[in-house]
Amino acid sequence: MKSPAAPTVFIIDDDRGVRQAIHDLVESVGLRAESFATGEEFLGTRQIGRPSCLVLDVRLPQMSGLDFQRRLAEAGTQIPIIFVTAHGDIPMSVRALKSGAVEFLTKPFRDQDLLDAIQQALERDRIAQQQQAEIHDLQKRHHSLTAREQEVMILVVAGLLNKQIASEIGASEATVKVHRGNVMHKMQAGSVVDLVRIADKLKLPPRK
Amino acid sequence: MANEDVQKTLAELSRDLQESKARLEEAQRVASVGHWEWDLETDVVVWSDETYRIFGLSPQGRPIDLATVRSMVHPEDREPLYQGVDQDLVAGERPNAEFRIVRPSGEVRTVSSLTSERWSSLPGDTKRDASGRPYKLFGTIQDITERKRTEEALQESSRKLQESNARLEEAQRIANVGHYYWNLIENRVIWSDELYRIYGLSPQEGPIDMALIRDMIHPEDREFVFRAAEEALHSEARPVAEHRVVRPDGEVRTVHGLGTIKRDASGRPYEMFGTVQDITDRKRAEEALKQSQFYLSEGQRLAHMGSWASDDLGIRWSDGLGIYWSDEVYKIFGLDPQNGPPNLEQYLAAVHPDDRASMAETIRVMHEQRCVCDVTNRIVRPDGEIRYVRCVGVPVFEGGVFKAFHGTTIDVTEHELLTQELRRERAYLTEAQSLTHTGSWACNLLTREILHSSEENVRLYGFDPSQGAIPFDRFYNAILAEDEVALRARLENAIREGADYDVEFRIRRTDGTIRFLRGIGHHNPSQEIGEYVGITMDITERKRAEEEREKLRQLEADLAHINRVNMMGELAAALAHEIRQPIAASITSANACLRWLARDPPDLERARAAAARIEQDGNRAADVINRLRSFYKKGMPPKREMVGVKEIIREMTALLRKEAVRHSIKIHSELLEDIPNVLADRVQLQQVFMNLMLNAIDAMKDTGGKLTIRSRLTPEGQLIVSISDTGVGLPAENTERIFDAFHTTKPQGTGMGLAITRSIVEAHGGRVWATANQEAGATFHFTLPARIEADA
Repeated sequence: MKSPAAPTVFIIDDDRGVRQAIHDLVESVGLRAESFATGEEFLGTRQIGRPSCLVLDVRLPQMSGLDFQRRLAEAGTQIPIIFVTAHGDIPMSVRALKSGAVEFLTKPFRDQDLLDAIQQALERDRIAQQQQAEIHDLQKRHHSLTAREQEVMILVVAGLLNKQIASEIGASEATVKVHRGNVMHKMQAGSVVDLVRIADKLKLPPRK
Repeated sequence: MANEDVQKTLAELSRDLQESKARLEEAQRVASVGHWEWDLETDVVVWSDETYRIFGLSPQGRPIDLATVRSMVHPEDREPLYQGVDQDLVAGERPNAEFRIVRPSGEVRTVSSLTSERWSSLPGDTKRDASGRPYKLFGTIQDITERKRTEEALQESSRKLQESNARLEEAQRIANVGHYYWNLIENRVIWSDELYRIYGLSPQEGPIDMALIRDMIHPEDREFVFRAAEEALHSEARPVAEHRVVRPDGEVRTVHGLGTIKRDASGRPYEMFGTVQDITDRKRAEEALKQSQFYLSEGQRLAHMGSWASDDLGIRWSDGLGIYWSDEVYKIFGLDPQNGPPNLEQYLAAVHPDDRASMAETIRVMHEQRCVCDVTNRIVRPDGEIRYVRCVGVPVFEGGVFKAFHGTTIDVTEHELLTQELRRERAYLTEAQSLTHTGSWACNLLTREILHSSEENVRLYGFDPSQGAIPFDRFYNAILAEDEVALRARLENAIREGADYDVEFRIRRTDGTIRFLRGIGHHNPSQEIGEYVGITMDITERKRAEEEREKLRQLEADLAHINRVNMMGELAAALAHEIRQPIAASITSANACLRWLARDPPDLERARAAAARIEQDGNRAADVINRLRSFYKKGMPPKREMVGVKEIIREMTALLRKEAVRHSIKIHSELLEDIPNVLADRVQLQQVFMNLMLNAIDAMKDTGGKLTIRSRLTPEGQLIVSISDTGVGLPAENTERIFDAFHTTKPQGTGMGLAITRSIVEAHGGRVWATANQEAGATFHFTLPARIEADA
């Protein structure tokens, strides 16, 4: 069996034959596969923390694949989606791709096309997860700052001098220097440039 | 004797004589008898005083001689009197006479003169002449005027009595009344002539006795007749009896007897007098009258009819009508006959308020013009019940003089209500007939006699009902000649079999319009040959509606074709999805299978599993197709009927014209005059035309152009239909493949149209092909065997 961290391909298709075939194909290239007949079943088993992607049939019993895609986005679930359909047309595929689908494949598809799309999706998910983890770390550091330090950090990122910051927050320049040193240390920033990049990743609000 | 004594005796004698004379005179005066002496020789006459008085003269007033006497005898009696006297004297008899005298006052008296046997007034002094003839007469004369008058009166009354007896007899005879006397003491009966006749006997033909009478009285009546007589004898009552007698010839008569009983001073009855009247005829007349009165009153009662007469109405104009009402009239008005007939005010009060004014006017006009009236109005009985009464009155004239009004009053309530009901029913019926355009009739088809024809029936044929009866032939001649032959055959057949019929035919109305009629005839139960009752309906609208419905049905069928064409697109799409799924699954499984095999070492187990899925999905795809085929078969059962190709072309042209016009395409046909019918499935044939014509329109959609349908016949009897367009034309290559399924050159096409077309045409034993036109566009041709009699 695959390790839990192994990349996983989720398959949602109401046609049992198609579902089993894709499942088998995914496993034949050494990937982990989990398949579901409906979107609801998938939502109940979703695990975060490992690269994954979704092979989604456009025509599903309860709601269409496109509607399901929108629902996932609304719930903040980010997972790369590959659409497959037995009767797709151009407007439908455009809409799907605009909504962030990795690929739109028409049944019957070439196996390599699906597998390429899956690889691409998994890579995209891996990167996304890495970025997510980094931001998570930076957020943790930022949370370790005192309120004063967070205030000072914003002013530093804004490019103010110590003297200016002191007058801004009504403290001595020496005190500002101490705060600044703590910020740089806690945020593990080697330079002001590093700190500005971190602030950007954290999407901190600019100075008022 | 002494002188003195003689003197004395003489004086006494003289005195006696004077007395005696005076007494004689007095006696003569009392008895109005005078005496006379007539000296025949000297004709000197000596009268007593009374004789003078009888002659109206003063006693001894003057000397009398024969001439004086003669002159005083009535001139008419004078000669007979003296001749009679002469004859008597000659015959030696005493001349006695009765004659009239005329007194000096002119009074006429009748006297009777009697001559004494002794001739002279002196005894023994009968003086005779030599011939023995007396020469002196003595006699009396008596004034018998009063006696004579009494006698005459007696004679007169006796004559009158006889006359009156005769008249009585006559009257009794005429009145059939006889009478009888019944002497109760001697038990003797005397009958009048008429009574004999009443009993059927000849008058006085024989004596009558009680035994005979008893025999002749009707046996049933005998007892009570005699009992009545018996009772009358013992009581004060008059004997009265009505009984029957049986005449000798057996005829029975009814008589009415009425008697009186005479009694003597002691009250003992000694005679019964009575009349007997033959009342048979009166009795019969009475019976007849009673009968006729009974019939009349019974008739009036049964007929709710009363009679009335008024001798006032029409003569005077007063509140009193002077009217007589029969009992039935009272009954009709609900009034009590005891209260007598009403006056005008009361009469009008009994009339219904709505009819009162008109009735008053009617009476006024009758009064003024003495005319006949016949009115029906409503009356309100005292108990509030409303009755319809018909009053008929006629003036009666006698010798040209108005006498009275006679009339009848009839309670016509039931009749009136029935009439109203009938009128209403008839109005409803007429309305119903008018609404449903149904006329009713009765006629004899053989004698061509119309017995009944409702207004609507007349109107159906476009005739005016107000113009009176329409003869049979006018109805019949309206029938269209082309329908008449078949109709007549049907009717003749029905008449021959005495059967009902139900026919449809067309007529031409006088205004030229053609109408469809349906006639239903029931053979009349009267069993009169050719007699039918029935209805005729105008089914023109229905016929047109049927035609419309037929067109609509056609259109629906056409639309169904279009839908089917559209459905083919849907079907193909659904089909594509259903088939793509298993195919996609099997391709993917095949790929997986290959990958399992390509592993080192190959994972045979997974590869086998993948191969098994491939088989499954392959079968699944096959199932989809099988399902589709079975659906197709079930949905379209083959049907074959004789179909007019021209008609289908017309329908399709009509159906697609709009579509063609939208794309500036003209549809044009060059068809054979007589395209033979073909044995085909109409719907499928329509589909063929629809597909080919739609294809042609599609080909010219952007450019416009002309669609031409042509037909021709091959010598082999094949019908060739060609549909040409001036559009884009056929693809340069794969021209043959255009009839394959799913082969399409159009973005929205299913690729099924031509494939279906070919399938249908071939199923009908024809073939289909396409050729490119020389100038522009393409032509699709198909053949159909035109004279196939039967096909699977």
